[in-house]
Amino acid sequence: MAATSGESQNTQVRVRLTTRDTDLALDDAAPILIPTSFRRYALSTLVNSLLGSEKSIPLEFLINGKYLRTTVDEYLADNGLSVETTLTVEYVRARIPPQYLTSFEHDDWVSDVDVLSGQSPRILSASYDGHLRVWNTSSQVLATSPGVAHGGHGSFIKSAKFISPNQIVSGSFDRTLRLWKYTEEQDGFSASLTPQLELYGHKSSVDSVCPHPGSGRILSGSADHSIGFWSTRKADAPAAPEAQVPRSRTKDGKRRKLSETSLPQRGPLALMQQHTGPVSGVIFDSNDSTVGYSSSWDQTVRTWDLVTASLVDTRTTSSALFCVEHMPSLHLIAAGSISRVIKLIDPRASAATVAAMTLKGHKNSVVSLARDPSNDYTLVSASHDGTCRVWDVRSTQQEKEGAVGHSLYTLPRASLEGKASSAVGEGLKVFAVCWHNEVGILSAGEDKVVQINRGNDET
Amino acid sequence: MAESKKRKAVTKDVEEDAAVVSGDEFDFGQLDGTLSDDESASASESEDLYSGAEDDSDAVSIGSDSLPSEDSDEDILIPKEEKESNSVAIGASESAASGHHQEPENSEDEKPNYRIVKDANGNDRYEYDEIDPGDDSDYSVPDNAANTIGDIPLSFYDSYPHIGYNINGKKIMRPARGEALDALLDSIDIPKGWTGLTDPSTGKPLQLSREELELLKKVQMNEVATDGYNPYEPTVEWFTSKTETMPLSSAPEPKRRFVPSKHEAKRVMKIVKAIREGRILPYKPLQEEEEGEQDEVPNYDIWADEQPRPDHAMHMPAPKLPPPGFEESYHPPAEYLPDQKEKEEWEKQDEEDREKEYLPTDYSSLRKVPGYGRFVKEKFERCLDLYLAPRVRRSKLNIDPESLLPKLPSPDELRPFPTHEAGRFLGHQGRVRTLAIDPSGQYLASGGDDGTVRVWTLIPQREVWSVSLGVESAVNAVRWRPGKDTPILAACAGDDIYLCIPRLGTDSSPEADAAQAVLDAGWGYAASESSGSKPPSIKWSRPSSSLREQGVAIVIHLGHTAKTLSFHSSGNHFVTICPATTVPASQAIAIHTISKHQTQLPFRKRLKGGGSPQAAHFHPSSPILFVANQRVIRAYDLSKQSLLKIIQPGARWISSFDVHPTSASTAGSDNLIVGSYDRRLLWMDLDLSPRPYKTLRFHEKAIRAVRFHPATNRYPLFADGSDDGSIQVFHGQVTSDMMSNAQIVPLKVLRGHKVTGGLGVMDLDWHPQHPWLVSAGGDGTCRLWVS
Repeated sequence: MAATSGESQNTQVRVRLTTRDTDLALDDAAPILIPTSFRRYALSTLVNSLLGSEKSIPLEFLINGKYLRTTVDEYLADNGLSVETTLTVEYVRARIPPQYLTSFEHDDWVSDVDVLSGQSPRILSASYDGHLRVWNTSSQVLATSPGVAHGGHGSFIKSAKFISPNQIVSGSFDRTLRLWKYTEEQDGFSASLTPQLELYGHKSSVDSVCPHPGSGRILSGSADHSIGFWSTRKADAPAAPEAQVPRSRTKDGKRRKLSETSLPQRGPLALMQQHTGPVSGVIFDSNDSTVGYSSSWDQTVRTWDLVTASLVDTRTTSSALFCVEHMPSLHLIAAGSISRVIKLIDPRASAATVAAMTLKGHKNSVVSLARDPSNDYTLVSASHDGTCRVWDVRSTQQEKEGAVGHSLYTLPRASLEGKASSAVGEGLKVFAVCWHNEVGILSAGEDKVVQINRGNDET
Repeated sequence: MAESKKRKAVTKDVEEDAAVVSGDEFDFGQLDGTLSDDESASASESEDLYSGAEDDSDAVSIGSDSLPSEDSDEDILIPKEEKESNSVAIGASESAASGHHQEPENSEDEKPNYRIVKDANGNDRYEYDEIDPGDDSDYSVPDNAANTIGDIPLSFYDSYPHIGYNINGKKIMRPARGEALDALLDSIDIPKGWTGLTDPSTGKPLQLSREELELLKKVQMNEVATDGYNPYEPTVEWFTSKTETMPLSSAPEPKRRFVPSKHEAKRVMKIVKAIREGRILPYKPLQEEEEGEQDEVPNYDIWADEQPRPDHAMHMPAPKLPPPGFEESYHPPAEYLPDQKEKEEWEKQDEEDREKEYLPTDYSSLRKVPGYGRFVKEKFERCLDLYLAPRVRRSKLNIDPESLLPKLPSPDELRPFPTHEAGRFLGHQGRVRTLAIDPSGQYLASGGDDGTVRVWTLIPQREVWSVSLGVESAVNAVRWRPGKDTPILAACAGDDIYLCIPRLGTDSSPEADAAQAVLDAGWGYAASESSGSKPPSIKWSRPSSSLREQGVAIVIHLGHTAKTLSFHSSGNHFVTICPATTVPASQAIAIHTISKHQTQLPFRKRLKGGGSPQAAHFHPSSPILFVANQRVIRAYDLSKQSLLKIIQPGARWISSFDVHPTSASTAGSDNLIVGSYDRRLLWMDLDLSPRPYKTLRFHEKAIRAVRFHPATNRYPLFADGSDDGSIQVFHGQVTSDMMSNAQIVPLKVLRGHKVTGGLGVMDLDWHPQHPWLVSAGGDGTCRLWVS
């Protein structure tokens, strides 16, 4: 009796364990035999013992692009595989679903969010009320940017990023970019934001900014179909174009309300106008500050050589794109589109197909993307359907339109409070997402909050 | 025997006489004479009477022929009493013959019943009396042997061997006469064995021996040819078929006849054992037998190669009847049997009204089933059917219904088109009546019942500018002026038209300045032309300062409520329509020129037929103005100031129409889509016909707005919005090929707008660059639909 039951339980299958994480790689790549009754936990223990690590690392296992959620036996049965095949099992660090942590309340829609790394991380939020806010992690506002009368933005701020621990750039619906000086008191409980520089050149709303801290350059994308290339230093920057700078008097002789503090005004180093639709996202190449990528409503992702300010490559997709993110280790550009999917595009000239992969699952336009700082294969997306989704690009399946990935986790808005959300995401649209090592996943949206979600492993 | 022989002879004689006296049979005296001429005849007659004495009728018949009727009565009685009296009676009737009567009477026994006559060869010929048929009445003719040819010359029969026919139709032969004939016959010496044939081998006359002749005769008679064979040998009973009362052996039946035979039992057991052991099989296995048969008898399938022949044109098989059910069984189950009431009802019904023409009846066995009573009637009716209602072969239309449907591409191939809702523009109080996307594609302007005009960014749906134009009056139309560099918004609210420069981001921008310049350019004109022909009721003026602060640049006071506004593609002109019936006809349609701040009223009179004007659009490329009233669309050439075309969509009340953006710019023709309050969406191809090319009736309620996509080259789409809250998106490809018509494919129904107060979708607009659609709803929202 015992022998027979043991026999059925001890059916073994040959597996080859692989990983793309170099620090987790096994020395011996030879296939090993494991009982088919193993689940994730047993496999994880096995791999940990093989690795000989003193602290056990929770692992997830991908077989053929699917996470193992059952026993190996059931997996084999579901996929119609025999126990005599050799399974190639890829193991990755387990990812605990990010849990809702806290929300930072705002007065108006929050358009963008960014995190400054440091001893105590600072969170920057840009709001439709025209103010930038800097928060500490305990949801206290350290500084708020001044209003229009004191050199602030005259309209919504669409995008804002830290350049350095004491410099911030913001792009606004009022067609300008502004550089802000951020100074923090020693106690760390109060700070000030003072406008430094006004950058003119765009003829329409500046929807996206991306600074490159090392080279002191800023990329901006605007609804006037152009990409601006700017310097963070006043000295480098050329003078502002006369046409874009507001005149002090209107034509009918009436004096305009201008800001009391007059700021230095500068123009772009270059304006790249090859896009035929509003530019929705711009980003520097992670490894090379002379290369930029942009996404646009004109359905293209374009690669720019920033030294000569020229267009290098154009990849045309099938729908308007709203955001762009670079995944350096995979040589892929992720772009969120209005057709509710994220497209992973290979920008290299050698790439055969435009879309290397499609991530499906959102119910509305994908408007923001952020990659996992600790993992090359994971990214988070924000969508107008009121959710953020975490994706693992290793977990893909071949479908008729190519490799298709599905989301790992869905992060709903906490302000939803358990109510059912519509696909339109009325009042819950997420506008921006940011993934920081320590803080977690920050998302900002129409519900006027910055929401922080964090997995337990991110400390 | 003897009597009959004699009688025959008599009749012969009578025949002869009859031939002579045929003319006067009924002369009594003569008749008497003839009778008396030959004694034997009368004697035979009387003898007949006697011989047939037992037969009353016979006596009567004869009596009735030759004797008076009263006598015959006596005759009947007489023979029963005695022979003597019989003879007396006859004697009484035939007084003349009675004297001779006695002699034949007496010699009756000795006399043979034949007479010997000389025949043609001189030999004796026995002549027998003719046998009397003995009939009672019908054949009682006076003289059987009389010649019946009537009064014709006998010479007619000269060439025949007979001289006439007796009453029985038999030939009366010419009597042989004269010795000459006999002599001739005697003189002919027929050689022995003469046949009159020729031997084919020798050519000489064929002579047959007596034996041969005998043989031939036998063959002819179908007899056995050999001698000495008797086919009718008496049977010899070898074993008796009768149980004899006195058997030959009186030994009792032996015991063994009552005891089972041991020998047979042994043999049976042997067979049984063999069967059990399977050595012999009681029955041959069927298959083997079949196979054996196949081996022995070759079977040929004569229909193996038969080709199914097509039905002959004249052959029409009867329609197949359904197979009989339980009811029609001779022994149906009890539940099918009608009860008394049903039976009565059935019988009461008229034959033609009966549901079924039979009554289920139960018979215990098939042999008790009676004959089919209605057989003849049914046959008759069947014949009637065939005759009066002949079947006709109907030529079947062998058309696949699928093939009749037009070959439409699948909607998937026609992507992109709006498929889902991407966002809502929330903010208007009350209905949103109108909306428009600006030419750059970033902003949406909307106007509604709350009297505000709002401008939104398209994505995300954020309000960036709004102006309140009037608390009581709704905003009926907002339209952007074409041209990307000058954001000018025209809005109709109340009796005024407002030209606004919405603040988009900043207070001062080059575009806003340019727009301001465009609008301001006309002030000088207005001042100089003010004394001209401009109607006093229409005035271009600067708005109040509060409105000016908000971005309104010009107010045009129309004096009537304009419901629709449409820009010319150059952006300098726009046309407004005041559809209300109270508006004077001359002021209903107004064309405004921005550069001159001038309003022209091109029509002095109400358009004939079709009620008040509803909508007007400029042709995208040529100076043509389309004006629609309730039923008719008219195209006017503005440069020649003449009516070009009258288009009759056939709708009862046109709500809106749109001109295809590439109309007439390519080789293609002008195309219009027309929406009507009677739920129809009509595609008009103006070169094809003044009537609709396609009528699309898919909505449940009135269609409020129809719109072509402005970039039809990239996105050949059009959409309509209806009061039922749905938007329908169509693919409408216009080809430049004159031979092919526009291809229209329904693509998508977009549902989402709630029907509020009977109003669903109020207005539609397409994004100028993308296959995106915005809709204004009666529910106070605008929605963005994207692909």
